[in-house]
Amino acid sequence: MPTPSRKQSPPAVPVEERLFSLVLALLATDAGLTKNEILSTVQGYRQRYAVRGDNASLERQFERDKDDIRELGVPLETIEDPADVGNNQALRYRIPRGAYELPADIAFSAEETTLLNLAAMAWREGSLSRESRRALLKLRSIGAETSDPVLGYAPRIRTRDAAFDPLSDALDKHVTASFSYLKPGEPAARLRTVEPLALVQHQGRWHLKAIDQRVGEPRTFLLARIVGPVRLGRTPLEVPPGNHAELALAELEEIWQQNVAELEVVPGTDAAVRLSRRRGARVEGDDRVLVHFTDLALLADELAGFGPEVRVLGPDALVDAVIARLRAAVAAHAGAEAS
Amino acid sequence: MAAAQPFAYAQDKLTFLLALVPYLIDVGRVSVAEAAGHFQVSEKQIRDAVSLIAVSGIPGETMQYQHGDLFDISWDDFDERDEIVITHQVALDDSPRFSAREAAALIAGLQYLQSLPENVDQGVYSSLMDKLARGASESPSQVAVARSDATESLTEVRDALARGRQVEFDYLSSRGSQERRRVDPLRIDSDDENWYLRAWDHAREAVRTFRLDRMTGIAVSDEPVSSSHADVPLGDTLFQGGDDDLTVTIELDPTAVSLLGEFVSNSELQPDAVAGDSGRVRARIRVAHIHGLKRLVTARPGAVTIVDPPEARAEVVRWAEDALARYAG
Repeated sequence: MPTPSRKQSPPAVPVEERLFSLVLALLATDAGLTKNEILSTVQGYRQRYAVRGDNASLERQFERDKDDIRELGVPLETIEDPADVGNNQALRYRIPRGAYELPADIAFSAEETTLLNLAAMAWREGSLSRESRRALLKLRSIGAETSDPVLGYAPRIRTRDAAFDPLSDALDKHVTASFSYLKPGEPAARLRTVEPLALVQHQGRWHLKAIDQRVGEPRTFLLARIVGPVRLGRTPLEVPPGNHAELALAELEEIWQQNVAELEVVPGTDAAVRLSRRRGARVEGDDRVLVHFTDLALLADELAGFGPEVRVLGPDALVDAVIARLRAAVAAHAGAEAS
Repeated sequence: MAAAQPFAYAQDKLTFLLALVPYLIDVGRVSVAEAAGHFQVSEKQIRDAVSLIAVSGIPGETMQYQHGDLFDISWDDFDERDEIVITHQVALDDSPRFSAREAAALIAGLQYLQSLPENVDQGVYSSLMDKLARGASESPSQVAVARSDATESLTEVRDALARGRQVEFDYLSSRGSQERRRVDPLRIDSDDENWYLRAWDHAREAVRTFRLDRMTGIAVSDEPVSSSHADVPLGDTLFQGGDDDLTVTIELDPTAVSLLGEFVSNSELQPDAVAGDSGRVRARIRVAHIHGLKRLVTARPGAVTIVDPPEARAEVVRWAEDALARYAG
């Protein structure tokens, strides 16, 4: 390969090389570097820096790079010059080692590493699969032995709801999320603007716990009922402290405990076998099963699917909901051809 | 989990570089192959990363990236013996912390696994979660997964799998027929709150997937499993279609595609037309028989309907009408 002539623009520095060089430069400085120092000297920026020109696009690049690096858990700090408060050009950037480095006393045994590998494996789709893959790289960085994945298990947590990724972004960036929400029994979806507190999965369904700005109070939303795109706000919010995820799970569990459906099942059928083996199910005689539930509409879907294998005895609202689904199924499939 | 797949994003490549350097410094000397095995990446990924690290560094006092401001490696070892030795390091020696989301992903994964019937002390889980939280640069994101319900079948099946024993059970198919099955257990899969056994079915001489909550009368036998199909590849898709499949045309709300999880993977679903202005799509899917699909369609008539064949439509009507008859009078 002939060497390119010197007159040509320098070869583009790969993005990861620029980011890596930025992290190294900011780790190496105690006093911090100004934006101008970074842009004019750090590999990947300096090649594109114009000494007396307009560096606006390079500055925007630097802003995006900072966000990307912070997302990886790198504590990129900004120090204001006490003598020159408010002057953006005088801001200095650095990465303090203590906050960057994994505490020295954190180590993982082979058994722990095995569990962590399995935990990471459960995320095989959506943004959390990338996050867990990165976490494993960091785990291996400290030499944690990669024992074989626990033989015989392939766990999987689904994040199929389209709203999951944008909402977890909103949760992390502490910004509002707006979306259309279709509540069962309401004729149309309504726009909600919320301050996210937690994302939790209960009984296989993802829920968002968030402060609904219209009422100023926390509400729980089922991700499956979010219609269309989720839009994120820009201004960071003050998130009230607390273990919101644990609290949200406890609340859902309480609702689940309180709601009981009484069912009559045909012995030996799929309905009888599966419904009676759910967590917390109580079997009475050979055809009565009591099951707990969190959401009446979701349980009604499921029970309608069992067809004649199950009859709902109560509560009445559940009976009505199942009958409505069965009628809709008949209406949609009656006649030889669909319209 | 995909091993040895190249990183698609610069952020992930950066994480790999930041993770690799402290490891290399710590081990002193390591072969490319061993490092690749340790990080579960390809050897090329290791070589590319090392080549980049070797020319990276800090601007230094001269702001010119002078020789002493850069990492250096033993090039002879690298070029001739495919071994990595870092001979000069700058700025970086320790492993990075987890991000809030990385820690949260692992913590939530652990919460989910807590119900596995393994001999793991619950204290191990809580100490692990605590370590992850301490090792994160910010408090972990508020994401949590309720522990998944382990049925008794899981414990028994796990026992058979661990000891390499054949297992027998009564299995109710979605067709409604009950049959005693004898299988060699291969793997336990889960999908949110649903648990499955992937196993070699002796009578059918093929790999089959069984829902744990449809198994009854489980008996772990003393017969060892045959080793001949231990290496049967098990994909991520739980259910594979056979040759005798029935082709069904369905119409569905695009947001409801995930409902079809058990019947068809997203990639296989080929929407072939938009039905009018309803926003619904038509698709043809292949199923072993109508019984599983009729249950799904009756559960969510607003989201999925069967268009063709007419016998399949009639089957749904019969299923729903039989159910409605139970509420009459």
